[in-house]
Amino acid sequence: MGSITGNDISKRGLSVAHIHLEDGSFSLFWVLAWWIVALCLIGIALFFLRSKYKPEPKMITIAAFVTAAAFAIFQVQIPIAGGVHLNLTPLIAILTGPVIGTLIVLIVNILSAAIGHGGWGLVGANVLVNLSEIIVAWLVFKGMKKITKDLFSRAGVATFAGLFAGNLVMIAVILVSGIQGVNQTTAQILIGLSLIAAINMGVAIVEAFLSGLIVAYIGKIRPDILRVDLK
Amino acid sequence: MSVFAEKKGLIIFGAIFLVVLIAALAAYQMTGSMGIEERYTTAVGLSPSEEEKGGGTFFGFSVEGDPVRYGIILGILIVGCYAAYRYFSI
Repeated sequence: MGSITGNDISKRGLSVAHIHLEDGSFSLFWVLAWWIVALCLIGIALFFLRSKYKPEPKMITIAAFVTAAAFAIFQVQIPIAGGVHLNLTPLIAILTGPVIGTLIVLIVNILSAAIGHGGWGLVGANVLVNLSEIIVAWLVFKGMKKITKDLFSRAGVATFAGLFAGNLVMIAVILVSGIQGVNQTTAQILIGLSLIAAINMGVAIVEAFLSGLIVAYIGKIRPDILRVDLK
Repeated sequence: MSVFAEKKGLIIFGAIFLVVLIAALAAYQMTGSMGIEERYTTAVGLSPSEEEKGGGTFFGFSVEGDPVRYGIILGILIVGCYAAYRYFSI
């Protein structure tokens, strides 16, 4: 994990709440730190899966489908605002819940790194970013039930909230870790990343509509699929 | 029941949509028209240079990373989905 040059870092990108930096952008300490935190959270999810929250067989199929869909969408750069990609993490949260969702984002991030979309060392940090999206989106989707029964708006608002949280965590992770080879002050980086987050949220509009329409459709034809609760 | 009570969810969604849209447009206005890579390098204080693309583009859409490995992994996932659907159903 040596220091990086300007040319190296210019090949990297940032899109809807995902740090797709290459290996070497974070120091080894922070790579390990984010991996350890992510592994602890994955461990908690596995504990829940093995003890308290036993998924129904159909949930395995749903998890497989959303994993494939998220991986497929995650890698496709859409020609909006210079090139962005969707995440589908809020949709994962709504359809599978936070426990299985944690494992799905781990798998998607590992597979993304395997094709060269983001570095292996950044998988831990990216799992944390995506996990924040999963948890917030799931909580908001559940919480909105008290306000409205309209699935489109519940899923849409949950998507906005989840992706906003993801952007905040992404900025926090970058600010805390620092990028090697960069001499900007924290305030300057914060301002720059805030602008990116604002543009990312513009892209979240597309994702909010998409998630809203998918969830509303599923709610109409198979409402039982949306009954994801921690027992 | 009032219109607000009936459409409360959509009103909240619409309000967030407007705030996000205005913020995004304002940010886009400030940064100008540039690719996300370029925008990022500017944000962290690096001078942008030519970026590497993973593969070709299709109507402006492109695959980030290696398209061959993307195809292989996606194929495996689709087979996995089919197997899960056959075994566990939905």
